[in-house]
Amino acid sequence: MENHATKITFKVNGEQHTLDIDNRFTLLDILRDRLNLTGAKKGCDLGECGACTVILDGKAVNSCQILGVKITSSEIKTIEGLSQGDMLHPLQISFIENDGGQCGYCTPGFIMGAYPLFESKTNVSVEEIRLALAGNLCRCNAYGAIIDSVVGAIGIKVDG
Amino acid sequence: MVDQNIHSSSVGTSFQRTDLKDKVLGIAKYTADLSLPNMLHARVLRSPHPHANILSIDVQPALKMAGVHDILTPFNVGVGKIAPDVPILDTKVRFVGDEVAAIAAVNLYEADTAIDLIKISYDVLPFSTNIDTSLEMGNLKIHAHGNIVNGGPIVEARGNVEEGFGQADYIVEDSFTTPDHHPASLEPRAALASWDGARLTMWKPSRGIHADKAILAAALDVNPNNITVIGPVMGAGYGSKDETRTSILAALLSIRTGRPVKLELNREEEFLAGRRRHSTSTKIKMGVKKDGTVTAVHVKTVMDTGAYLSSGPGVVRRAGQGALYLYRCPNVKYEGQIVYTNTPTAGSYRALGAPQGHFALESLSDQIAEKLNMDPLKFRLMNHVGPEGQPGERTTPKNQIIDTQPVEGGVPFSSNELRQCLILGADAIGWDKRDQIPTPTGPIRRGLGMSMFIYRGGPGGQSNAEMSLDKDGCFTLNVGFMDVGEGSSTVVLQMAADTLGVLPQMISLNSGNTDNTPQSPMTAGSTLTFSAGQAAVRAANQLASVVIEAASEAIGLADTEGLYITPDGVCSMSGDGVKFADLANKSGLLKAAVSVTPGSKDYIVNSFGAHFAEIEVDIETGYVKITKYVAVHDSGRIINPKMAKGQVRGGISQMMGFTFLEDMEIDHSSGVTLNASFLEHKSPTIMEYPEIEVIFADSIDPVGPFGAKSLGETPCIAPAPTIANALYHATGVRLNHLPFTPDSVLTALKRLR
Repeated sequence: MENHATKITFKVNGEQHTLDIDNRFTLLDILRDRLNLTGAKKGCDLGECGACTVILDGKAVNSCQILGVKITSSEIKTIEGLSQGDMLHPLQISFIENDGGQCGYCTPGFIMGAYPLFESKTNVSVEEIRLALAGNLCRCNAYGAIIDSVVGAIGIKVDG
Repeated sequence: MVDQNIHSSSVGTSFQRTDLKDKVLGIAKYTADLSLPNMLHARVLRSPHPHANILSIDVQPALKMAGVHDILTPFNVGVGKIAPDVPILDTKVRFVGDEVAAIAAVNLYEADTAIDLIKISYDVLPFSTNIDTSLEMGNLKIHAHGNIVNGGPIVEARGNVEEGFGQADYIVEDSFTTPDHHPASLEPRAALASWDGARLTMWKPSRGIHADKAILAAALDVNPNNITVIGPVMGAGYGSKDETRTSILAALLSIRTGRPVKLELNREEEFLAGRRRHSTSTKIKMGVKKDGTVTAVHVKTVMDTGAYLSSGPGVVRRAGQGALYLYRCPNVKYEGQIVYTNTPTAGSYRALGAPQGHFALESLSDQIAEKLNMDPLKFRLMNHVGPEGQPGERTTPKNQIIDTQPVEGGVPFSSNELRQCLILGADAIGWDKRDQIPTPTGPIRRGLGMSMFIYRGGPGGQSNAEMSLDKDGCFTLNVGFMDVGEGSSTVVLQMAADTLGVLPQMISLNSGNTDNTPQSPMTAGSTLTFSAGQAAVRAANQLASVVIEAASEAIGLADTEGLYITPDGVCSMSGDGVKFADLANKSGLLKAAVSVTPGSKDYIVNSFGAHFAEIEVDIETGYVKITKYVAVHDSGRIINPKMAKGQVRGGISQMMGFTFLEDMEIDHSSGVTLNASFLEHKSPTIMEYPEIEVIFADSIDPVGPFGAKSLGETPCIAPAPTIANALYHATGVRLNHLPFTPDSVLTALKRLR
């Protein structure tokens, strides 16, 4: 395995890691299999469902589409890094209050997909929410409650 | 009958889904999230041929790889079966994607490399990718007993349809087809098996851990007492998830290697080797008198079950229930046939045949209304089955429980608010202004359509519940059922809490492990709220008596007169009392255990509803946009309004895939599924999610716990015919073949011109 390995250094949820990783590992594999951060899910491993969405250097990405060797010096935020101890992030609170998840498999991906919107906006239109989350599938189709949840956390943009 | 006058503080409120906090924190553990020390990873080698006999398999080159620990083939596994037509592995493969061999290696890369080294010799056979070929090719036998399941259709009838058609002034008939519709739950199937030399522990997404345990025991020939099945949080079932070889292969690899083995299907495998909704072909014929009275309904449905039977018999029966029972009619007949093909296997998927059956029935109903020159809503208001049920004589003996899916007449419903659903929905969508909706010119054509449905559900199998007062003064509700992502554990907890008279926060619900939960049926057929709910209510009632009895002793009273339960403990009218924690310490473990057979000897327990949609059809692109959707449901009393609303909105949006987008494209020259990925198999996204208004009829069922009936699958039944009828209203084109892709809409519009 050594001949396939690369040493990389990166930060996840503020914590620095230096790992020898298999070159074939994706960021999702590293999170799940090496760091035991299993909040990001492997729904397709092809960048088609959004269940593995995490924040990479401020942007929401499909972590299954990022090769591990490319994340040296990067900062990654995952669903596990969103809450501070017992303090849930406003998005997490709003997803609970609005019943924004059913089976929950897509939920971490949706919350991380909405995170850049939360960081950059003080209010948001439904259309902006739809566009930000267009790459995330929810097969329970809880889309209505997901929109409500994001609106609840960020605030709705009033026309005019 | 359950006492409906129980004080309710939680039932009827939107108590928070119990596992949602873990889900938003990302700490809820699904099967694929679990690992064990020393664990091996498994991969499955799948057939490239739709139909072939396996002559030989050479595993030696693969086994020589350092990281490879074991390979299962049809030639080295036992003769056990996981279903009557599904051996552990078979020397015959029946679809492209069928399991041929399974490999356990130190990691997935090694497994993938090794799997390419396995050499297989196939004798390729003629194959069939559709029903017609399966029926016509005499030399093609997908299973030894032939391609027609049980040799012919099931036949269900009431009265005499020939006589009924003889009384009709008009007879309208048509044909409809529905696609191979895949649940494609976001969590692919997975299994983690650990064999310690004597005992097997299996973690798997499960709709029924006790049923899974029985299947594992039978297939592996292991004493069930030596098997534990654990159901972690489930990335949704939608009626699917079990029935495949996934867990058996992981278990066998673990038994043979002595190491834990995890097998995760990838997305392509989930599409191919999971279970899809049966595609159907339906011929339907209805007779009416000039005044609009329905005199006869006759339906013939043929279903494609693919390579294996799975839940086919249950599904084909339910596809006929709308035709048999939705319209008041003395003469009805349903014939449902299941046919094997060399395609991915169909199984149970949310609402089990009812969407297919209602698509034909409710499309034809609009055609009849047009023939009668009658408003489609008026036709339904005139003919829908009422609270009294169907005309005819009861045939079920008086002392027996009535089937929730009967054919016989003469039996009333426990509750039936279908009429209320029709009226409330018509009002909410503005049906009285329907004539003003269509836009006869320009590229955008508007239309308004509706349909209604009936669904069995509610009473399921024997349901058990145990409840106890624990040392800490809190309660445990112990149940064997699985929450498949729909929230059943939350609503059952609410019902138990209100029955006992404590807050739901004081009760922890224990489920998901066969070692410490009572037997329970699978989470299937929209039966959980009703059946597990009834068991929980009875267990809570029994525990309340036990607790009050113990409290009277603890306080030193002569009897239990005047004692009542409060959220803290037991009080008496005179002001004496004992807190639950003190009571638990004084009296030891206080517990109750019940087993109930849900159902009614007097009534049919069914759910109902009516859906309405206003749409815009772009006749230049064929794209259909839903501008307003109203869903009205009679599911009895709603235990948790917020979750119920989510269930309905989600079900409708899910079925927009069935209506507009989803089909498994199978190449007829090779048997290969061409779109086994989310990229090529498009599903509804947040982009096109329509505004959906959900209305619950004012309904309290006298049989169901707290007046509740079934809800889970029911939102999925009416969407397709509702849209079909709206499309016709908008364009004058009737589409009989789902899905209504832009392409098919455009083609149909061109035919009209």
